[in-house]
Amino acid sequence: MAPFIIRRLFISFFVLLGATFIVYVLVASAGDPRNALLESTDPGKANKIAAMTRNLSLDVPIIPRYFAWLGGALGCLIGKCDLGNTASGAPVSGGLAVAMGSTLRLVVFALVIAIVVGVSIGMITALRQYSGLDYSVTFLAFLFFSLPVFWIAVLMKQFLAIKFNDWLKAPSIPPWVIVVTAVVAGLIAAGVVGGDRRRRLAAFGGASVAVALLMIYFAVTDWFAEPRIGPVAMIAMSAITAVAATALFAGFRSRIVLYATLVTAVVGVICYFALDSILADPTTLLVVGLLVLALIVGAGIGAAMGGLYRSQAVKACMLTAFGCGGLIFASQLLAALPAYSAKVNGVVVATIGATTPNFSGNFWETTLDQLGHLLLPTIAIVLISIAAYTRYTRSSMLEVMNADYIRTARAKGLTERTVVVRHGFRNALIPITTIVALDVGGLIGGAIITETVFGWSGMGKYFNDALKIPDPNAVMGFFLVTGTAIVLFNMIADITYGFLDPRIRLS
Amino acid sequence: MTVPPTTPPDDVPGGSVYGPAAEEATELFQIYEPPDGAELAAARGKSISSVGSVEVLKVEDLTVGFPTEDGLVRAVRGVSYSLHEREVLGIVGESGSGKSVSSMAVMGLLPKGARITGDISFRGTNILSMSKQEQRSLRGRKIAMIFQDPMTAMNPVYTVGFQLAEAVLSHEVMSKKAAMARAEEMLNLVGIPQPKERLNSYPHEFSGGMRQRAMIAMAVINNPDVIIADEPTTALDVTVQAQILEKLIEVKDAFNAAIVLITHDLGVVAGMAHRTLVMYAGRPVELGKTEDVFYSPRMPYTAGLLGSIPSAGETGRLRPITGAPPSLINLPDGCPFSPRCPLATDICRTVEPELAPTDAPDHLGACHHWDRLAAAPDPTAFFRTESEARR
Amino acid sequence: MSTEEKAAAAASAANGNGNGNGNGTAAQGLSIVARTQGQLVRRRFFRHRGAMISLTILVLVILLAYTSIGFAGIPGWWIWNYYTPGKVVNRGAPTLSLWPTFLGGDGFAIGEHPFGQDDLGRDYFALTMRGAQISILIAFVVGIVGTLIGVIIGALAGYYRGWVESGLMRFTDVMITIPILVIAAVLGQKFGGAGPLVLAIVIGLVLWTGLARLIRGEFLSLREKEFVEAARALGAKPTRIIFRHILPNTVGVITVAATLLIANAILLETALSFLGFGVRAPDTSLGLLVSTYQNAFATRPWLFWWPGLFIITIALTVNFIGDGLRDAFDPRQNRVRA
Repeated sequence: MAPFIIRRLFISFFVLLGATFIVYVLVASAGDPRNALLESTDPGKANKIAAMTRNLSLDVPIIPRYFAWLGGALGCLIGKCDLGNTASGAPVSGGLAVAMGSTLRLVVFALVIAIVVGVSIGMITALRQYSGLDYSVTFLAFLFFSLPVFWIAVLMKQFLAIKFNDWLKAPSIPPWVIVVTAVVAGLIAAGVVGGDRRRRLAAFGGASVAVALLMIYFAVTDWFAEPRIGPVAMIAMSAITAVAATALFAGFRSRIVLYATLVTAVVGVICYFALDSILADPTTLLVVGLLVLALIVGAGIGAAMGGLYRSQAVKACMLTAFGCGGLIFASQLLAALPAYSAKVNGVVVATIGATTPNFSGNFWETTLDQLGHLLLPTIAIVLISIAAYTRYTRSSMLEVMNADYIRTARAKGLTERTVVVRHGFRNALIPITTIVALDVGGLIGGAIITETVFGWSGMGKYFNDALKIPDPNAVMGFFLVTGTAIVLFNMIADITYGFLDPRIRLS
Repeated sequence: MTVPPTTPPDDVPGGSVYGPAAEEATELFQIYEPPDGAELAAARGKSISSVGSVEVLKVEDLTVGFPTEDGLVRAVRGVSYSLHEREVLGIVGESGSGKSVSSMAVMGLLPKGARITGDISFRGTNILSMSKQEQRSLRGRKIAMIFQDPMTAMNPVYTVGFQLAEAVLSHEVMSKKAAMARAEEMLNLVGIPQPKERLNSYPHEFSGGMRQRAMIAMAVINNPDVIIADEPTTALDVTVQAQILEKLIEVKDAFNAAIVLITHDLGVVAGMAHRTLVMYAGRPVELGKTEDVFYSPRMPYTAGLLGSIPSAGETGRLRPITGAPPSLINLPDGCPFSPRCPLATDICRTVEPELAPTDAPDHLGACHHWDRLAAAPDPTAFFRTESEARR
Repeated sequence: MSTEEKAAAAASAANGNGNGNGNGTAAQGLSIVARTQGQLVRRRFFRHRGAMISLTILVLVILLAYTSIGFAGIPGWWIWNYYTPGKVVNRGAPTLSLWPTFLGGDGFAIGEHPFGQDDLGRDYFALTMRGAQISILIAFVVGIVGTLIGVIIGALAGYYRGWVESGLMRFTDVMITIPILVIAAVLGQKFGGAGPLVLAIVIGLVLWTGLARLIRGEFLSLREKEFVEAARALGAKPTRIIFRHILPNTVGVITVAATLLIANAILLETALSFLGFGVRAPDTSLGLLVSTYQNAFATRPWLFWWPGLFIITIALTVNFIGDGLRDAFDPRQNRVRA
């Protein structure tokens, strides 16, 4: 393993070196950053031009300038980073660090959602190949594939932010919305469940009635005016989480795992009542600590009760604990919503920036503020990347489910759940992981367009602004980070491949 | 004509072939010493006599069709057979003759779109009318299957031990450790040396023969009543083939299981099966005791198959069946074999013959002219090649 | 004897054998209809409903875009052009009406400016058509340039191995390391003003990397196949083996990848134009139109809807055609056992 990594690093280093040269020469010869100043009528423009010439060493020819830059950049290897100054004289590394933090906040969250949802949808459509659900999802995936981000962003700003905020001021749910939502939910449920006509009808009926009742409840109690997760909802949703976690990891052949997750859920509900005072205005550290504690408690319950099914029980209980923790978190957030809404004049879903300027509030309110700003760009990124993951997972899963060892697994008499998850998904995961790793590397570069549209001052915007000048030092700083990320994640992809597929021996 | 017997590799010393397995020598192994020809015959006589009278598996008038863009592919059209305890039934036919499809129907492993009619009963209960859950609990526990290509039939990302243990755990509640112990015992039984270490190997670290042994172990780990072996030796070296077949018989005797042996290799059937079923174009065309089918075929297709085998002793020419099997979507009128049959007459091209008793009541054939075959001294002679005819 | 003659001789010999053995099976009419690979692919493609609908729509859109306002000096049938400002009528609202009278609408009418007018009073239908022309032109040029470069580099790397391969593939790695948008934006900055065709060629020079890797993989596996061995044994030159023997076997992969490349190029062009690195005024593209009028959405939404609709239609149909082609060339994925 070590020689492999070292060789890869060695090659990657030279690949990156070549790439920096190309990018530097391209950017430096793309235009003279002083042009804008030359045309201005600013009285102090001679001084400014001189300052910019000094900042960017514009008096030096391109090739020596590149090597001067390279010398500074190579210093990063020994801890003495010098990426030069931007056109305005600020050090590149400082601005870059800020932009990177901002981008990571946006991208990581979105990517996690996109992967989880995209992979799940891909799996379901593969298992229900050539069903109505499959065709609908395929169509939607292609549609999202074909959407320009900036176009959908404008629509989202209009309908998910401006119109939604207006609606939230006086929320009322018209009957046709209830009917449409219920029918759509029913159709999705029927498609996911599959099977014969009776089973599908039952799923359709069950899901649509449940959703309709829920919506009617929301409408009658005016839930959106003062949203919250009440005790009854908490108990019901914890129980559902427990059952779902059991179904996912163990199935119901043996009751032990179900009992363990239900006990975990009960602990979760008790916490819901007990932790109110602690969670009034917690620190981030406390919240993270509580989450870790919840996972530990879940694992403990699973290990204690699991018996012969210990490993499954531990996983299922940890998931249940995580779910209950999430529910408590959500309930606290929702409780803080009216106060927050009043503070920001009803702009709950923001259209631009990363935070409301000059906003201050307690933990829940600042969290709401960040989430409100994250919502639209996250949806934009998720919509666009989810399509790719769905398609990849679907085709990868289809290929695997045709393999001989799936037939063997069925012939052994394994349950369909085990066949699909343990034998199908585990193998389909190998190519998916590679693609995900490569994508993560690419996303560090920031979603240039998304950031531009939503006024998110991350890497993409940093690059875009720098390129417009054009400012070689700033662009190179950006490229150094993204290029390294791509190279690194390329390698991580190879290494995970080796771990996931025992046939590959890295050497 | 002669059929090449599947001779076990008697030049290999018994102990080393089976490794420590033979030394730890459960009594199962003592029944079956690597035999020479005479012993083999004796052993066969013994196992034939030991065939039970209870029917474990009964297939009646099974048909399977697959709807495709071009029309319904009628892969199996009316297969009936029964399998008794400890019996070995050979099913022979070309690819596409429906032999694998019919056994996949027994396992309940056909794709969702397949149209299945008829009866498949296991010890008197109809499998086709069972719930999915009941079918699943039968699979791998009472009816197990061994697949053709050991290369691809095992999941590459799990250890062999895990995949064996999984088969036990899916039917019985026990600890993983106990299941692994059982897996080790099985690997030992099928003659894999150092079974304990091998449990943690991945399939790609096994040779083809070893993998097929592991597949056998996986099939018998739940002590099944019926083992369906779908071309178990096709993908293997000839020398390894014999060892695997030996092992299969040995394991069958150890577990009192019956075997449905699907193959296109007549030699394999001749060496192992009590009875043989010949299939052509989705239909059974001959069924009888193996020696009856081989020495006095009552269906020209069987005779043609026998004529196509090269044998070591004879220097005569091969007598292949000319032409290709018919399309299963658009079958010819009458006997599906008639376009390739040297004996075909007008009736063959209009009326499809039923599988009916011929000269012996337990020797069934589906041919209008079985009596002409019976009258000929060498049935394969009907398939003389043109060059022979010119001579 | 040339290789063709040898092949023909071999084929006839095989035929003779076949006749001897065949014994007239064909005469029995057993309906085993032989189909060539090409026929099978075509048949499967024509049965892919999504792809066929998409192909029809795409052809209609292309016809509409290029005939309506004319192209390269050839006049079209549409009365307005995309560059002459006019008098803004009714705030430039669209006059197109599709809502029939019996449903309470105005009946079917195209009107003076079916897509409306922009703030200079230019006909928005003509502008949108011009944008579509440029976007389609760029997409297809990128597809051709990118595919050509990708195939050549991939084929050379895959066939010759050794230092040729490592050199070419490291170069590909370098190009992959530079994010596509980055390099296209830099080049677009430099060449964007030089007209859409130059811009397209520049983007094509960037977008070939994925295809090169794909083709290299195909070549690596195909060059070990027996038929290549046979060609080599007959003394065929490397160029002949590459172009006559291996390349035809990668047609499926190339076609699918090229289609998806075109779909990518459409979105990349719109993104570049949106960021200001692509097509520049006074010429226009769909991306530029959306970008220009994104803030007009609340007041004059048609300026935003029409170009967006055309971007989506073109990208969506190309994607679906790519999907149909993939299914046609690679039917393995079509059916799942149980």
